[in-house]
Amino acid sequence: MEHFIETIGRNMFAIFGVMALGGAAVVVASRSAVHSVLAFLFAMLCIAGCFLALEAEFLGMAQILVYAGGIVVLFLFVVMLVEVTKAKEKEVFQLQSRYAIGAVLLGVAAFSAVFRKVIFGAASPQALKLPENLAQGLNVAQQNAQAVSRGLFAGYLLPFEILSVVLLVALVGAVVLAKTERV
Amino acid sequence: MVNLNAVLLISFALFSIGIAGVLIRRNALVILMCVELMLNAANLNFIAFARHSGSVSGQAFALLVMGFAAAEVAVGLALVVALYRKRDTVQVDDINLLKG
Repeated sequence: MEHFIETIGRNMFAIFGVMALGGAAVVVASRSAVHSVLAFLFAMLCIAGCFLALEAEFLGMAQILVYAGGIVVLFLFVVMLVEVTKAKEKEVFQLQSRYAIGAVLLGVAAFSAVFRKVIFGAASPQALKLPENLAQGLNVAQQNAQAVSRGLFAGYLLPFEILSVVLLVALVGAVVLAKTERV
Repeated sequence: MVNLNAVLLISFALFSIGIAGVLIRRNALVILMCVELMLNAANLNFIAFARHSGSVSGQAFALLVMGFAAAEVAVGLALVVALYRKRDTVQVDDINLLKG
């Protein structure tokens, strides 16, 4: 039993990753938009789990807050507003689907050809590992937020400020776009 | 420590699913969600490389990407609502105003 739990703990990333892929597939394949949104929520939560498995605790929590708390709710509102069971969607997929699928498969093939060596080839001479002195900021749970904030506010202050302006513009733009026109 | 190849594979698959969704679905809302999936795949890569290079820059940038994704969703959904008011549809095949 302990061995089992240990195995799960070691493969946490793979488990969450595969679950996220399943959720994403349901987003694309499901016929009803509400089901798509719920699968999207599931996928986002699983990706948050992936972030936690990669020891990015702050980002995992931010992912849950931003996506599950904000974006999914926004999507659900719009789905309820727009998709008033008109059943107008005769065909779920576009006419050009065949070509699109072919193009995506081609891309997958090209990428796998590049990746084949990395995955099935001989192991790289040294596994990627953090040097001890660099790992300190990221290793410990309560230090992750500290490390991120140091990186964000010391190294990337300008992009951060630009982001705040972009968010303001998006807010105003969304209000202007969605408001009803008075006659 | 998580294998970097595993992360790259998962994020690649996530990106492929997202791009396939954008290309083959007709519903504008689903297309927006697939764009979000692609952004999340990119975020996953950012965090994986940050983890493996031992710098926090990747995590900081992933946070910025998350903010931009939120802005994009707000504007995109406003466009969808405006479109629905004008044309009474959210199917991208029915929207051909620029066709002339």
